[in-house]
Amino acid sequence: MSHEATEEPSGVILNGTEIGFEDGELLIEACERNGVHIPRFCHHSRMEPVGMCRMCLVEVDTGRGPALQPSCMITCSAGMSVETESPATKKAQDGVLEFLLINHPLDCPVCDKGGECPLQDNAYAYGPGESRFVEEKRHYTKPIAISETVFLDRERCILCDLCTRFASDVAGDALIQFQGRGAQTEINTFPDHPFASYFSGNTVQICPVGALTAKPYRFKARPWDLDEVESTSVIDSVGSRIAVQSSHDVVLRYQGIDADAVNWGWLSDKERFSFEAFNSDERIAEPMLRSGGELTEATWSTALAAAADALRGVDPERVGVIGGARLTNEAQYAWTKLFKGAIGTDNVDAQLGDGLTPDLLFGYPRATIDEACTPGGTIILLGPDPREDLGALFLRLRHAVVNDGARLIELTPLTTGLSSLAAARLHPHPGETSLVARALVDGASGDVAGVSRGAIDAARRAIEGPVTIIAGRANLAEHASLTAATVAELMRLDGARVLSAVRRGNIHGALDMGMSPGWLPGRQRLIGHSLGSGWPKVPTVAGLDSAGILAEAAAGRIDVLVLLGADPLADVPDAALARKGVSGADKIIAVDTFVTDSVSQADIVLAAAGPCEREGTFTNLEGRISVVAQKVNPRGTSRSDWEIAVELAAALGIDLEIESLDDIWAELSSAVELYDGLDLEKLAQHQREGIMLRPTPESTDVFTPVDTPRNDAYSLRLIVTRVMYDRGSIVSRCPSGATNPSSPAVRVNPYEFEQLGAVDGERFTLTSTAGKMSAPLMGDVSVPRGAVAVVFAQPELDVRSLIDHTAAVVDVRIERA
Amino acid sequence: MGYLNGFRVTFNKMFEDRVTTEYPEEKQEKPDRLHGRHVLNRYEDGMEKCIGCELCAAVCPAKCIYVRGKDNPPDDPVSPGERFGFVYEINYLRCIHCDLCVEACPTEAITESKLFEFSFSNRSDAIYTRDELIVDDDGRPQQMPWEDWRPPPDWA
Ligand code: SF4
Ligand code: SF4
Ligand code: SF4
Ligand code: FES
Repeated sequence: MSHEATEEPSGVILNGTEIGFEDGELLIEACERNGVHIPRFCHHSRMEPVGMCRMCLVEVDTGRGPALQPSCMITCSAGMSVETESPATKKAQDGVLEFLLINHPLDCPVCDKGGECPLQDNAYAYGPGESRFVEEKRHYTKPIAISETVFLDRERCILCDLCTRFASDVAGDALIQFQGRGAQTEINTFPDHPFASYFSGNTVQICPVGALTAKPYRFKARPWDLDEVESTSVIDSVGSRIAVQSSHDVVLRYQGIDADAVNWGWLSDKERFSFEAFNSDERIAEPMLRSGGELTEATWSTALAAAADALRGVDPERVGVIGGARLTNEAQYAWTKLFKGAIGTDNVDAQLGDGLTPDLLFGYPRATIDEACTPGGTIILLGPDPREDLGALFLRLRHAVVNDGARLIELTPLTTGLSSLAAARLHPHPGETSLVARALVDGASGDVAGVSRGAIDAARRAIEGPVTIIAGRANLAEHASLTAATVAELMRLDGARVLSAVRRGNIHGALDMGMSPGWLPGRQRLIGHSLGSGWPKVPTVAGLDSAGILAEAAAGRIDVLVLLGADPLADVPDAALARKGVSGADKIIAVDTFVTDSVSQADIVLAAAGPCEREGTFTNLEGRISVVAQKVNPRGTSRSDWEIAVELAAALGIDLEIESLDDIWAELSSAVELYDGLDLEKLAQHQREGIMLRPTPESTDVFTPVDTPRNDAYSLRLIVTRVMYDRGSIVSRCPSGATNPSSPAVRVNPYEFEQLGAVDGERFTLTSTAGKMSAPLMGDVSVPRGAVAVVFAQPELDVRSLIDHTAAVVDVRIERA
Repeated sequence: MGYLNGFRVTFNKMFEDRVTTEYPEEKQEKPDRLHGRHVLNRYEDGMEKCIGCELCAAVCPAKCIYVRGKDNPPDDPVSPGERFGFVYEINYLRCIHCDLCVEACPTEAITESKLFEFSFSNRSDAIYTRDELIVDDDGRPQQMPWEDWRPPPDWA
C-alpha cells in the first residue's frame, strides 16, 4: 500500500507505507511491530531509553526535512516519515559500526558471545565489511572478576549502558558504573565493592557483546552446540519463564524469557544458576536401601518392593507424608491419589511448618503479579523480604513502586530490600503485627505494638487504589496463625486481595493438589469431593500437618514416614521437633535428588529426576500453571516422581489408573472443577504466560491466632528471616551461590547492644524455652528495640534450636557466653 | 581353440610396463594436496595453537569433531590467551577428510598430514584425542601403533 500525501496521515510513514502506532510508542518498537527491524545495541524494551550507541539511527522527517535520529529515543507522532533503507541511514549504520570496532578486539573465536553476538550480527549485516584502522587497539587486563561469578572484559565493552542501567534502575544495586572519559571510558566496579548483586546474571544475559560473562557458562560451549527448550524455573514459587539450554545432555545455562505477566525476562541469580546443583556429583542416581547401617545402591524392583513392604497393611493413621513442593503438579496429584485416595491417610503436608494455611490462600481473592503492580495501587508487604526469597517478584514490585506510582506499605518485623522505596514502614514488635494491621484499617488512638500513631496515620493516608497484601512468613519464629490473623485484618480493606509469598518451589501446586491435611486436589475439602471412584479410601477427618506428623513420629506413633523431596532436619524451623520426629519414625522412605541430612536417615531412597529431566507443569504463587519441559535425560536410573508413585502403587497391588501425564490431565479436567477444560495441549499453547486458575474463593473461617504472651522485661523477641543464599539443599550445591555468605552474627538494636555492654563480634549465649545457642553479637539500627534478629539456615548459626513450633513467639535471653 | 585367445592377453601383458606397485612394501609418491589424518600444532615455544573455539567442530559436515574449551590456568597456560582446547577429539570412522576444519581454524592449529594409512580394530582407536593429535616437541605427528609409516614419511 503506497501512501498518497493528499490528506494528513494519522500514522507514521515507514519507508513509504503508513503504519499505525500506539500512544507514546517508541519508533524502533513501532517499526519492529510492522516487520522492519532497526539494528540496535542499547535499546531494551524493559528499560528507559538512553540513546547511547547510535546504532538505531534512521532518517526521520517530522516536517522540517529529513535528519538522522536515534529511533529508540523518539516517540511516534502522526505524519512522521521514516526511512530505514535510505543511503543516509545506511551510511550512518556503516559509520557507527566502524567506530564501534575501532577498539574492539578480534576475540570472536575465544569470546563466549561469538555466534550469538549482536555486534557480530550487526557488523555482518550493516557494517562496512573491512576496517580502515591499522593502529594498535586499546588494551586492558582481561578479564577481570568483578564478582565471584561475573567477569568483565573491558576491551569488548561497547558502552551501551545496558548493564549499568539494569543494575541501578531495575535491581537497585548501582555497583557498576561508567568511569573515565573519552576513549578511556570503561565500565567498572568501585574499589572494594564487588558486583555482589543477587541479580548480576541478568547483566550477563543482556550485554550485547562478550564483555560480561558468568563463570558457570564460561567457555563451556558455543551457541551452535546448544539446544534450547522453554520451561519454568522451579527453584522458587515465582515460576519465572526460562530457556533451558543444554549441550551433550548436560544443562549449561538458563536464560530469562520475557513473560509479560511474570518475570519480564529477569531472573535472580539463584534461579539462573540453580541448574549447577543438578549437574553436581552429589545427585542420587540409583535407588538405595539401608543395609548394615549404610545406604547402598539397589535395583528399582528391590527398592520398590521394600517400600511396598513397609507400607503394606500399615494403619493409615500411622503413615505420614512430608514434602511435595519439589514435584510437578502431575506428580503431586499421583502421590496424593496414592496416599489419600488409595492408602487412606490424610497425614500429608507439603509445607514444612514455614508456610501458610491453605484456608488463607484459598479463602481470599488472590491477586496476580500484574494486579499487585497496578499503577496507582497499594502494596502491603507482610513479608518475607521478596529480595531475598522471591527475586523475580522483587524486581516486578520494585518497578511498580519506582516507575508506576504504586505505593508500598511495609508491615514487616525488619527492614526489607524495598524499605528505601516504601511510602510507609511499620515494623511492629514481633507477635503483635495484627494489632497494627487492625489500626491500619480502623485507625489508631495511640501507639500500637511499638509503632507510633503518626506512622500508622501516615500509612493509612498512603492507602489508595487497589490493595494487594503480600502474605508470607516474614518471621519464622512467629506462629503461622499470627500471619493469618494479620491478613484477615487487612482483608477488611476495600477490594483487598492476597498475593501469596510462600516461597518453596511448586508449593502452590502442592496445595492445589491436596498435599495439605484436610484438602484434596482442586482446592476441595475431604467431604463432598468430586474425585470419583479412583479415590476409594479418602479419609473423612483432617489429618496431621508436618509438625503434627513429626510430633507423632517422635512419640513412636508413625510407622512409615515418606519424605517427598523434603529435608525436615534442615528446613523445619523447630530443630528439636524435626530431630526427634525423624529419629522416631519407624521406617523412612525418601524420594529425592540429593542425600540431604534427612535422606541420610532414610531406610529406602528412591531416586527422583531433576527439574530439567522431567515433564510436567508448575503452579506459581499467583495460581498460574505453566509448562516445565524436559531437556536432558534423568541422572542414572532416576525417574519422574509421578512414575515412582505409580510404580510404588503397583508394587502394593494398587492400580492408580495413570500411565501418562495425559491420563492425569484427563482425570483432573473431568473430575475437578478447578482444572475444567485444561490439558497439556492447551497449556502448551499458552506456554509463555501460562494459564491462571481463578476459582471463586470460598468464604474463610475466622483465624484465631495462638495467644501471644506479654514480653518480660529481660527477654528480647526473636525475629528469624531468610536470605537468598542459605544452606538449602539446592543453593548450597551451586558453586555460584555458595560465594554469597551473609553475616553470621546475631543482631540487636544498638540500644540493647550497649545495655549488654557488648563489643562487636563478642560471643553471647541465647536461651529460649526450646534451647540454647551461642553466637557473635552485633549492633544494628534496622532491628527494632526489644527484638533480636537472626538469619535462618546459615553456616555456624543454628537458630532453629531456639524455635518452638507451638509458641506464638520466641522470647530469648541473651547472656555473656 | 578359442581359449588360447585368453592366454594371448596374458602373454601380451608380460611385455608391457607394470602399473601396480607392491603396496605396502613399496609406496607411491603422495599427491601434493592429499588430505590425511589431522595434527594439532604448537607454536615454537611449545604452546598449543588450539584455543578451543569449536569453529572446526561447527563447520565439520560429518560432525566428527568434538571440542570443549576451558579457562587457561594463569600460571601454566596451555595456549596463548584465555582459552584452550581442553577436549579435542576426531572420530575417523566419520571424518571425510574434506579439510573444512583446516579452513575454519583461526590459528592454524589443526592441519592435515599426509598420513592416511591407519586401520583400527576397535572403535575407540578410531577416535583420536588431543593427546594423540598433538604434535611432539619437534613438531611431528605421533605415530599410533596401528598406523603404517613405511617408508618413513618425508620429514623423518
Ligand atoms: S563481543 Fe562479539 S564481536 Fe566482540 S569479540 Fe565477542 S563475539 Fe566477537
Ligand atoms: S559491559 Fe556490556 S552491557 Fe555493559 S556497557 Fe559494556 S557492552 Fe554494554
Ligand atoms: S583446532 Fe582451530 S578451529 Fe578447532 S577448536 Fe582449535 S583453534 Fe578452534
Ligand atoms: S539503540 Fe538507539 S541509540 Fe542505541
